[in-house]
Amino acid sequence: MKYFYLFVVLVSVLFVSCKRDNNRVVVYTSVDQVFSEPVLKEFEKETGIKVEALYDTEEAKSTGVLNRIIAEKDNPRCDVFWSGDPVRVIVLKNRGLTQPYLSPEAKDIPEVFKDSSHYWTGFSARARVIIYNKKLLNGSDVPTSVFDFTKEKYKGKVAIANPLFGTTTFHIAALFTVLGNEKAMQYLNDLKRNDVIITTSNGDVKNKVLKGEAACGLTDTDDAFEAVKESNDVAYLFPDQYNGFGCLIMPNAVCLINGSPNTVNGKKLIDFLLSRKVEKMLAKSCAQMPLHKGVQVPKGIPQLDNIIPMKVDYNKAAGKLEKIQKTLKKWVEQL
Amino acid sequence: MGGTTLKYGGLKLIFLLFAVFALLPVLYTYLTALNGFESPGVLFSYQSFVLLFKSLIISFFVASLSTFFGIIFGFFLYKTQIKYALFFKVGFLLPLLISPYILAVSWSDTVFLLRGTGEPVSPVVLTVLVLTFIYTPLSVLIVGNAFSNIDTSLEESGLLMTSPYKVVFKIVLPLVKPAILASFILVFIFSVSEYSVPSYYGVKVITTEIFTRFSAFYNHSDAIMQSSVLLVVSVLLLVAEGKYLSDAPFLSVGSKGDVRKRYYFDKIKRVALTFITFWFLLTVVIPLIILIFQSLKNGMPDLWKAVELLRNTVITSLEVSFAGALLIFVTGFAAAYYVVYAKGGKRIKKLFNVTMLFLFALPSTVLGISFIVFYNRPVFDLIYSGMAIVVIGYWAKFSFISFKILENSMKQIPVSFDEAAIIEGVPAYKRIFNILTPLILPAVFAAFIFAFIFSFGELGTTITVHPPGTGLLPVKVFTVMANASQSLTSSMVLLEFSVSLILVVVLYLFYVILSEKYGNIRNKP
Repeated sequence: MKYFYLFVVLVSVLFVSCKRDNNRVVVYTSVDQVFSEPVLKEFEKETGIKVEALYDTEEAKSTGVLNRIIAEKDNPRCDVFWSGDPVRVIVLKNRGLTQPYLSPEAKDIPEVFKDSSHYWTGFSARARVIIYNKKLLNGSDVPTSVFDFTKEKYKGKVAIANPLFGTTTFHIAALFTVLGNEKAMQYLNDLKRNDVIITTSNGDVKNKVLKGEAACGLTDTDDAFEAVKESNDVAYLFPDQYNGFGCLIMPNAVCLINGSPNTVNGKKLIDFLLSRKVEKMLAKSCAQMPLHKGVQVPKGIPQLDNIIPMKVDYNKAAGKLEKIQKTLKKWVEQL
Repeated sequence: MGGTTLKYGGLKLIFLLFAVFALLPVLYTYLTALNGFESPGVLFSYQSFVLLFKSLIISFFVASLSTFFGIIFGFFLYKTQIKYALFFKVGFLLPLLISPYILAVSWSDTVFLLRGTGEPVSPVVLTVLVLTFIYTPLSVLIVGNAFSNIDTSLEESGLLMTSPYKVVFKIVLPLVKPAILASFILVFIFSVSEYSVPSYYGVKVITTEIFTRFSAFYNHSDAIMQSSVLLVVSVLLLVAEGKYLSDAPFLSVGSKGDVRKRYYFDKIKRVALTFITFWFLLTVVIPLIILIFQSLKNGMPDLWKAVELLRNTVITSLEVSFAGALLIFVTGFAAAYYVVYAKGGKRIKKLFNVTMLFLFALPSTVLGISFIVFYNRPVFDLIYSGMAIVVIGYWAKFSFISFKILENSMKQIPVSFDEAAIIEGVPAYKRIFNILTPLILPAVFAAFIFAFIFSFGELGTTITVHPPGTGLLPVKVFTVMANASQSLTSSMVLLEFSVSLILVVVLYLFYVILSEKYGNIRNKP
């Protein structure tokens, strides 16, 4: 019997080994850990509030933490959700899982990057860019528009991430919102006809272009920035700057979870994330573009003022996304 | 665990704890999901059947190939005097220390290096190959162990009458049928519930479909209900196994204690060694060289950066995996002992089997979401907010492996040993620790080592349930690799691999010491 007692003791020790700290804030983030962790550490240093963070993985396609918030809806554990794009916070808002909070730090942020009812606020933006391998494409061969991808000369050479996941979903939803269903669907079918390469993630698009498995592809600025640091053979550009269509800008978005257990600290964290200091940090670490005017950024980091943005309403794009998911799934399955 | 009655009571209680902590959350979630099930059509749609069929075909090939190679390598490494057998036995385990996702990436790079932009290899073929490379070590160990436990008197009697080749085919292979079947079932279920490799190669199977329902549609009920088809498959497998083995006379044989019979197939020894070396190069050396090469291509800085990033997670991961492995082992042992030695209790035995198999076959995401739905309430705060939920996740997921390895090994020990000890009045715990354990020591080691290795590298459930603010090695590697350079990613994987390897070596040394103590060193796994 003594071995059984040992077993019970072991299980009990495991259960009791959890320590709690009351001065804390729980944040779930789909922003890559290499970039988000230093920001959260800085918040801890500045306020003394312990940050308990949950990061997402490439394998979970940046939806792991979102699914967790949904699964935890009856007993929320998370205070703040920091998303890499506005779509996911809008999904939570539509499910009644967020609460409004108007941060004083948000007042300088342009209205287009905020929810009118204050359910979420955007900051530091990324853009969807064309990444290309200079050994395989140069000069006039380099595509300058996402619509170039359907041209014969790029047949089998373009990589995009699976449009059911990550920021690619948002990009496609934005195209459906701006172009309308018919034209957007035609574009997707033209891509398919041109043997577009579907990868598991934006990181995989980057890797395929780096290795020369694809000549070019669509990815986010942070991935492109890393690729350029990693190899001289790779470059990136903002698409559709000469035809007026513009390039998709995706701000980070932060929201307060409904019923959050540490609401006061959660609001402090949101204030911190929306500060100029964080925008400066993110500009330096992953080339994100500040939304506050006048934030100093390192040389070589693009500025929003110099980019023609795609004119898209984020709420409409999120709504569109939920409507087109089934169509996108079919499109992916037919590839 | 004093007398016979008390012994089985204790074993049932261990299993009851397992059922309460691991199974109940899943059953609860299924019932909840049934209420919110929006599209019952998904279960019976043509597309669902196609995906399930594809999953089953891929898993069938993976399980068949792994078991086939497991028999060949197991035989030559455990039953012949082949050179460097011990080196290969340990070396073959190495692919299990690397996450399937990483191996998928590594093999994709290798194929691209070899073939360039030429005609690409079929993603389905790549999936089957990579999964076979990953799971063959499991088969080698299970079947190899069975080869070591064969009653030598049967082989020797056969050798008096006929050639060694006939003895192998007519006596040895039939004797290890339970192990062959166990290997097939384990690998089949591992493959059918594997998500990362088919997803990486863009192969649409039932697990990728379930993941899409979670991640693209946020529809937990549909995803959970769709995973029930895997439950059906698992139960069918179990029924098939039960039917096949129930009339098999070979289960009653086996007598440990004799010196293991070795075969001298001089004519094919060289061919076998070449084949084993080739396999080792292909599945172990090449991925490792690629990892080392990519890790060091920018010099040492990335390796140091990886050390810096991961050092805080190593101890926690080891502690949690060790606790998980201990629970898995105890549960597996208790269930196996009950199934093999208890008289009657057919229904309870079936319940043990089905429960563990069901949890093993369940996709990691479904298991994780079930735990969140069930444990995320104030009364379970101590479980949900700490590492206990991760440990229970390992416990749920891998107890079946431990159970199968130990059950298979116990079945080869004559029940008469235990019965003789009972007549002599030997208490239950002494029979288990002084008689049974030494006889099945290689299986005990294998069961614990697999429980540990799989827990240490587990990602799907861990990433879904681990508490905020905690660091576990595989989770950290995966969260950092999303935007890390290739060399940093390889460095992190190399570190994770090295930690696992060191631990396997330490456990192996511990096993050698135990074996010497029990005078059982000839049964090295």
